[in-house]
Amino acid sequence: MYDTEKLGTDVNQTETKISARNVQVYYGDTHAIKDVNVDIDAKSVTAFIGPSGCGKSTFLRCINRMNDTIDVCRVEGDIKIDGEDIYDKRVDPVQLRAKVGMVFQKPNPFPKSIYDNIAYGPRIHGLAKNKADLDEIVEKSLRRGAIWNEVKDRLHAPGTGLSGGQQQRLCIARAVATEPEVLLMDEPCSALDPIATAQVEELIDELRDQYSVVIVTHSMQQAARVSQKTAFFHLGNLVEYGDTSQIFTNPKDERTESYITGRIG
Amino acid sequence: MNDQHIVSAFDRDLEGIQAHVMKMGGLVEAAIGEAANAMVARDQELAEQVRAADKAIDALEELINERCANLIALRAPAAVDLRVVLSVMKIAGNLERIGDYAKNMAKRTSVLVHMEQVEGAHASLKRMAHEVQLMLKDVLDAFIQRDVDLARDVLERDEGVDQMYNALFREFLTFMMEDPRYITPCMHLHFMAKNTERMGDHVTAIAEQVVYLVTGSMPEDARPKATRLDA
Repeated sequence: MYDTEKLGTDVNQTETKISARNVQVYYGDTHAIKDVNVDIDAKSVTAFIGPSGCGKSTFLRCINRMNDTIDVCRVEGDIKIDGEDIYDKRVDPVQLRAKVGMVFQKPNPFPKSIYDNIAYGPRIHGLAKNKADLDEIVEKSLRRGAIWNEVKDRLHAPGTGLSGGQQQRLCIARAVATEPEVLLMDEPCSALDPIATAQVEELIDELRDQYSVVIVTHSMQQAARVSQKTAFFHLGNLVEYGDTSQIFTNPKDERTESYITGRIG
Repeated sequence: MNDQHIVSAFDRDLEGIQAHVMKMGGLVEAAIGEAANAMVARDQELAEQVRAADKAIDALEELINERCANLIALRAPAAVDLRVVLSVMKIAGNLERIGDYAKNMAKRTSVLVHMEQVEGAHASLKRMAHEVQLMLKDVLDAFIQRDVDLARDVLERDEGVDQMYNALFREFLTFMMEDPRYITPCMHLHFMAKNTERMGDHVTAIAEQVVYLVTGSMPEDARPKATRLDA
């Protein structure tokens, strides 16, 4: 008989990519994130779930310092990627965001061609030496975004002319074009139909072998389908964090249970 | 945790399924009792009734499985809700098997009434069936009240049933050695005893499901298991 316990630990052997300690976020006087500690695995998908306003998106945005752009927002505590403090004064947020890509709820392609949508990041970060290099990056990224076959014959058509699902995959391709190590996704499928959603989910699963993906989602089924670890946020607290299968079959905290079973918390 | 779902139809579905399990459990409980009574009283008519009643038990199992499949498909249950559905499907399977054993007992009773009576054997067999019936009643209570302690108590009691079976085994052996005419009825009685012992195992399996349903993990195998076959 197989020693399933042992098999389980072998598979789960992963290293920590993002480590957050005592993270507090304030919007003016509002304490939006309360003392969050979490270790996010490399090369895996971590889902953040929780009711609206629980702080999951706020916390996600701390990971690439998107909250810096909000004047009243103040972040305290440590967030480290590969052991390096991303809030260190010497860290350039623009460089950080090349390393930590982001995909938003609504597909937001630039009002440019499909080609230029992908080429934009590599150009400003100087990742391509010449046109051939750039062509290669564009093709590779579109392939990673699982959209190459659909757009290869119209690379110079506007990105905004694609369907919603294609636009979102274009945005994912754009996010991976700068070779990030972490990919943050804030409800990437909430504006998509079920088929486009399935395509994006399939893509997320493929991206896992290269990137650490952190996804915020309102669909618990989606969290269950795509992630290996799940974190449940409630009123700014990280209530429970664990293996997705455990969270969805046997959560430890009553608040998690109430939320995922659709009961009034 | 709040007991009620935001979608109240979800609660109604879950409650409905559990009500069917309790109904099924009640029918199975009655089948065990009546099969044992029919055996002791050599009452062929009652035995026939037990056999006929098994159809309703089978139909309920089918209904429960169908409702569970619907609930999984339509409501995507998670956590405790998922465990309710999973355990209910298994419990319904166990109850159906117990029902079959009771039916088989009744079937053998119908044969036994035409044979010479084996004096003294029926009383202990009836006691054994009665104990299994009580265990089933308790495990159903444990299920509906989410009572892990009661479920664990049932788990412990299965050993007693196993011992009763071993004692009966020896008793039947003695009867058969004394008088070869008893061989056929004693073989039937032995199968009835063995079936009753298996009913106990299914009750135990239900108790394990109750522990899983409430705690999220199967009970650690603390139950003393007699592996000897030297009865």
